[in-house]
Amino acid sequence: MFVHIDGPWSPLLGRLALSEIPYNNPILIGTFAFAALLAVVLVGLVTYLGLWRTIWRDWLTSVDHKKIGIMYILIGLVMLFRGFMDAVMMRAQQAMAVGPHSAGYLDSPHGYLTPYHFDQIYTAHGTIMILFAATPLLVGIMNILVPLQIGARDMAYPYLNAVSLWLTAAGAALVMASLFIGDFAHAGWFGIVPVMELPYSPGVGVDYWMWAFQLSAVGTTLGGINLLATIVKMRAPGMTWGRLPIFTWASLSANLISLSTFPVVTVALALLALDRYFGTHFYTAGLGGNLMLYNDLFWIWGHPEVYFVILPAFGMISEIVPTFSEKPLFGYLGMVLASLGIAGVSWGVWLHHFFTMAASPAVNAFFSITTMAVGIPTGVKVFNWAFTMFRGRLRFELPMMWASAALFFLLVGGLTGMMNAFATNDYMVHNSVFVVAHFHMMLLLIVYAIFGGVNYWFPKVFGFRLEQRFGKMFFWLFTAGTAVVFIPMFTLGFMGMTRRLAYVAFPQWGPLLDIEVVGIAIYVLSAVFLVAQLYVSFRDRAKNRAGLDAWETSRSLEWMTHSPVPFYNFAVTPEVHARDERAWRVARGVDTVRPERYEDIHMPRNTAIPLWLGVLSFGLAFGLVWRMWWLVEVCAVAIIALVVIRSFDHDTDYTIAAKEIERMERAIRDVPSGRPAADDVIGGVPAFRQGV
Amino acid sequence: MPMNSLRPKGWLRLLSLLPLGLLGGCAHRRGGDEFWMLDPRGVISATQDHYLALDVLIMLFIIVPTGFFIVWVMRHYRRDGGRGRHDARWDHSYALEALVWGIPILTVGALSYYSVKAIYAVNPYHPTVVVRAARAAHVKNPLDIDVISTDWQWVFIYPKQGIATVDRLVVPKGIPVHFRLTSATVVNDFYIPQLVGMIDVMPAMRVRQSLLVSRAGTYEGYSANFSGAGFSWMNFETRAVSRAAFRAWVARVQGAQAHLTYAAFEKVARPTINVHGRVAYFSRVQSGLFRHVVAETAAGKTYPTPMAMTENMTRYLKVQARRDAHNRD
Repeated sequence: MFVHIDGPWSPLLGRLALSEIPYNNPILIGTFAFAALLAVVLVGLVTYLGLWRTIWRDWLTSVDHKKIGIMYILIGLVMLFRGFMDAVMMRAQQAMAVGPHSAGYLDSPHGYLTPYHFDQIYTAHGTIMILFAATPLLVGIMNILVPLQIGARDMAYPYLNAVSLWLTAAGAALVMASLFIGDFAHAGWFGIVPVMELPYSPGVGVDYWMWAFQLSAVGTTLGGINLLATIVKMRAPGMTWGRLPIFTWASLSANLISLSTFPVVTVALALLALDRYFGTHFYTAGLGGNLMLYNDLFWIWGHPEVYFVILPAFGMISEIVPTFSEKPLFGYLGMVLASLGIAGVSWGVWLHHFFTMAASPAVNAFFSITTMAVGIPTGVKVFNWAFTMFRGRLRFELPMMWASAALFFLLVGGLTGMMNAFATNDYMVHNSVFVVAHFHMMLLLIVYAIFGGVNYWFPKVFGFRLEQRFGKMFFWLFTAGTAVVFIPMFTLGFMGMTRRLAYVAFPQWGPLLDIEVVGIAIYVLSAVFLVAQLYVSFRDRAKNRAGLDAWETSRSLEWMTHSPVPFYNFAVTPEVHARDERAWRVARGVDTVRPERYEDIHMPRNTAIPLWLGVLSFGLAFGLVWRMWWLVEVCAVAIIALVVIRSFDHDTDYTIAAKEIERMERAIRDVPSGRPAADDVIGGVPAFRQGV
Repeated sequence: MPMNSLRPKGWLRLLSLLPLGLLGGCAHRRGGDEFWMLDPRGVISATQDHYLALDVLIMLFIIVPTGFFIVWVMRHYRRDGGRGRHDARWDHSYALEALVWGIPILTVGALSYYSVKAIYAVNPYHPTVVVRAARAAHVKNPLDIDVISTDWQWVFIYPKQGIATVDRLVVPKGIPVHFRLTSATVVNDFYIPQLVGMIDVMPAMRVRQSLLVSRAGTYEGYSANFSGAGFSWMNFETRAVSRAAFRAWVARVQGAQAHLTYAAFEKVARPTINVHGRVAYFSRVQSGLFRHVVAETAAGKTYPTPMAMTENMTRYLKVQARRDAHNRD
């Protein structure tokens, strides 16, 4: 039944053998030693501090949307670091391997990475940065913020939320495992057909890539369902569509995309699995296979995915800019339409990822126009942010610095994007580093929005603000690194340099590649300041305590509850009166009132089942990669059993009595706001529940 | 030459450098000959450059003022030291919103018009710029070349001349060249930056591309689409020569010892990383070889990547060198 593969296979270990452990590669051994050391230190520290119980009870088994969001962000940050190290290695290799006379080390003809190893690194870099860094970071932020912004207690399906998290974690773990056991795909993050078919990728690399991708895709699809249901069904009273905070609108648009397109990539990869495991011919070159089918299916997901990650970033910018301009967002309706417009257009542009496939001019013309049409809503957003700042009172605190810098990335990315959307320009630069530099501009826009968002909402989640001085140094160094890496990269694009070169044949590209290495060094330096910022913030957390509204001029609902947010979010579900509810209440002096009476709160119970589902999914995928059929069978049966068992569990929720809520609320001492306001007034002025 | 009129005017070419200036990338420029993208030597690439300049100009017309406006707003309305008047209620204006939507719509409309025009001008199956230039120059007999990419070399077949080369393309200047392209293994992009844009070369499929070189010279061509371990070495030098020189070259290659039958092709197509940039010449090419390769690939023929290559590159290169030496004997 299964396709025959050359090489050893045993019933117990499948294709896994000692020779698959890269113990003779000093780079990987060094990485492994570093990772092992880090793990030992972490485990030791947790044991020493006696935190295992807390971690198990409050985090690993939690279904609290805020904690799940934080864990998503932690996964994203770890994988961001891994992806960044891949980038460092790529830059070093390309700078070393210039011209036929460049030296070679470690079995490589030039540089220190063999082409096959280099190819795995750029594949890992792309896969990790898109699926395991950007996506978890943004899903994490949406997880934390959306329920708070709409006045909900949790997500619509808290248990499903945890399942999504642990599936994503399992995918990330699988990518990490491929570092030390076997190898990773070399066929690019989007899977170049037919390179990833068995004749050209006989190893386990593509299988690792494919199953890690599947786990993350399933996790994100479930997350999309969850966020959509939450936004549609869980809004607080008075939160009409016209009053929905703009970040929530962006999340809604993004998750419309994820729900409608992630299933496509799941199917596309399932067909690839049939090719690689059963010897079918969906994407092979011959025997009736159609490799363009894969390109179509993948990019029908792939391009909307780009907007899935950029829309929440736009949403964050749209929240940060009004707060620090001290005025409402300009053109709210236009912004909403633009977000939905970007989501809508995203389904009709996928073919521009293979403009060079020599389609008929009518086909390329259609997709060239649709791709350019993306520029309309995006342009609207830039103008609207500019007019939000217009007539404002701008404070360039850290979140605003990141957000306003992101605007300039959108200008450069927009210019270069319009160049690529013009199909005949694309013929010139399609696989050149010009395109690489272009999409890094857009992805850096996301990174800038994420750093802005993290600085902005950190006090809401943790109760203290991040330190500013090191934070600003980090910002400037990071920006300098970006300039020094990507300006030469754009230039190299005009010089004709193409992507994915393990060896650089033309020596005239060398000097600019050297400059890029300098840029990478600046990035590394900037990371030191990020660590310093986090350390100092944590050390001085008592000094930097934040009140309800950490920035004094925030506008939306999440700033109306305590910082850090209690696990039940709002003591009493707030009644919404205006688009910018917080600003509306501040303007009327009713912002800090306590409710007249408390009510019972209905909450979901913690459960360890999602964690076990994640562990078993990892086992399932690992078994599939190495073709250990017994492991696949055990894990598949266990997963089904667990899901069935859970469905018979009726004790999944509990109620907190109103008295208990009142006791907890009174124990919280909010830091008073700097603004003169009626703090701690109980009753009297209109309370949360009553209309005004 | 009539085709020179298709090259962008001087000022237009200068302007196309603007984005580079904007990005501060002019540091390493030496006479422009390293910026292959902006130094077109063929009709197709010149047309592409013309539209690139147009596209960039229109975009800069929007983006530069927007950038200046944002910087001005950021300075003028800053809380500490800015002179702007704060209006905490202002969040809407019909006139501005019409502008905000109108500008991008008009820009995209204009760009779309030019984009469609450009797509038809360099359509690989019927490039109107090449057709027109050839008609104006009264060229009757275009040159046909079949291109087959292997792992990881390029085979160029000149069917009418009965010759073939590996990793060397020689074309006459001023005569349209029509390519048929396919791959024996995986997808590559056929790309000569100064002459013609990228086009996918796909197994079991045939695509076309055209070329009309306007200036003699040596140009670099290479694969632009990742195709495996030997991808970085998939270069082919392209020489554009006069018609007389081309005829002389063809006559020389027709005297080559090696013949290119399908069996010989199968040997050429075995996974080979051409690290030393070796060129091979063949005479007496089996007729219909291109179609035969397409048919065989469609019927499931593959040239699998050896596991050995993935493990130790240096060792594999030695094995490959021994194999090739043995093959020549």
